[in-house]
Amino acid sequence: MAARRVAITGLGIISPLGLNLADTWNALREGRPAIGPIKSVDGSKWGLKIQNGAEVRGFDPLKHFEGGKDAQLDRFAQFSVVAAREAIRNSGIELTSDLRERSAIVCGSAVGGQAAIEAGFEDLYIQGRGRVHPLTIPKTMSNAGASHISMDLGLSGPVYTISTACSSANHAIGQAFRLVRDGEADFAVTGGSEAIFTVGMLKAWEAMRVIAPDTCRPFSKDRRGMILGEGGAMLILEPLDAAKARGAKVYAEICGFGMTSDAHHLTQPTVDGPARAMRGALREAALAPETVGYINAHGTGTPGNDPVETRAIRAVFGAHADKIGVSSTKSLHGHALGAAGALEAVATVLALHHGILPPTANYNERDPECDLDYIPNHSRAMQVEAALSNSFAFGGLNAVVAFRAAQR
Amino acid sequence: MADAVAEKVIATLASVKRVPAEKITLDTNLQEMGIDSLDVFTLLFELENAFKISIPDDDVRSIKTVNDIVEGVKKLLATAPPNTSVGSTSTAD
Repeated sequence: MAARRVAITGLGIISPLGLNLADTWNALREGRPAIGPIKSVDGSKWGLKIQNGAEVRGFDPLKHFEGGKDAQLDRFAQFSVVAAREAIRNSGIELTSDLRERSAIVCGSAVGGQAAIEAGFEDLYIQGRGRVHPLTIPKTMSNAGASHISMDLGLSGPVYTISTACSSANHAIGQAFRLVRDGEADFAVTGGSEAIFTVGMLKAWEAMRVIAPDTCRPFSKDRRGMILGEGGAMLILEPLDAAKARGAKVYAEICGFGMTSDAHHLTQPTVDGPARAMRGALREAALAPETVGYINAHGTGTPGNDPVETRAIRAVFGAHADKIGVSSTKSLHGHALGAAGALEAVATVLALHHGILPPTANYNERDPECDLDYIPNHSRAMQVEAALSNSFAFGGLNAVVAFRAAQR
Repeated sequence: MADAVAEKVIATLASVKRVPAEKITLDTNLQEMGIDSLDVFTLLFELENAFKISIPDDDVRSIKTVNDIVEGVKKLLATAPPNTSVGSTSTAD
């Protein structure tokens, strides 16, 4: 089968910025960060130093899951299902029995059910109960999010989860794109979810000394590190022809995917690995570099990442790099690890769809080592032709997705 | 309902299935109220915690109604002292 063009026809998201697509987009567009004091975890007993995060606030699982089902899903899997349901509704697709079998679900999650496993450890080691909750295993498994989407929506094609730390969701989206493009599936739900606000997880991040004490200021000279986030986001992918045939709204096309590894260091990024991933995405998309007008950067706000990513972008785009709007929306929704690429894919797709580029919030001061146009603090009305979304993971794993604006 | 054990069993069941306790009686059939195998695991876990008992796997298979659970719990409470020692729980697999 010849390669097919792949349309994004539905989006769903639950994020620190909002519990649905409309609220999340409003906050992205207005550049309103959702970073503040962490409320869902009391780490005072454990000397937790991390104070701030980007939490999903006001989410009530009982509004989404009946008959005690909520207790069968860890928070990260609840996010998956809620986002997937919204994405399906948003796409307007009719799930025929044929389409259900010809579907694919590919999700990213770096950690899986962290709250479930920690609750079990607390029962065992702290409470000395000698028994843990019987659903600890199926709640903790990283594929729980994807599996629950499959059961919830009755989608019975290939379903799997990719766990590549902070690149998980981009790897997942890239795989789903290729399944639809190559005719392995006629429809895909893809994205990622993560829920990592637990004492154990926060202490582990604290030990890495990469978390900012205040907020996330990507590319700004006074940046002090990353801010953890959580949430879930799902995209609906269909062959462009099929989407047009059913009169679907096409948000954008997903047109290329590039992945590389640094083969270098567990946590220190290279310029070459990310640069090759961006080139790979452009090559697969058959996009001329000059068509790219927006990059949703990995932009963690750590001293290490941001200058290296800046140099990688310069290496790929040369003089055109100065004409690209580059923003890190992690400054708004935090770093949702395995869901980051999914949240940022939604931001990128909506940027192409609305002709509005979301900003890098909390930007104060130009850093000579970060010398691109970072769309500081205020979104920009600009219709661009194509965009990239970067994700780079600990372990040196780089995944870049290329998007093209829908033809109007 | 004057029976404290029955009351506690019904409250536990109501909490697991997120339904009002008033909707559950001793005659309620578990399958008919939508209790599946995962709910059973959770229910047993909560009952073991609530009554400080250890429910053997063999006792679980014949449960059909709420009354079956109440009778089973009463039997365990009568025959065994409260057991909370490590490793006392039944396993699901």
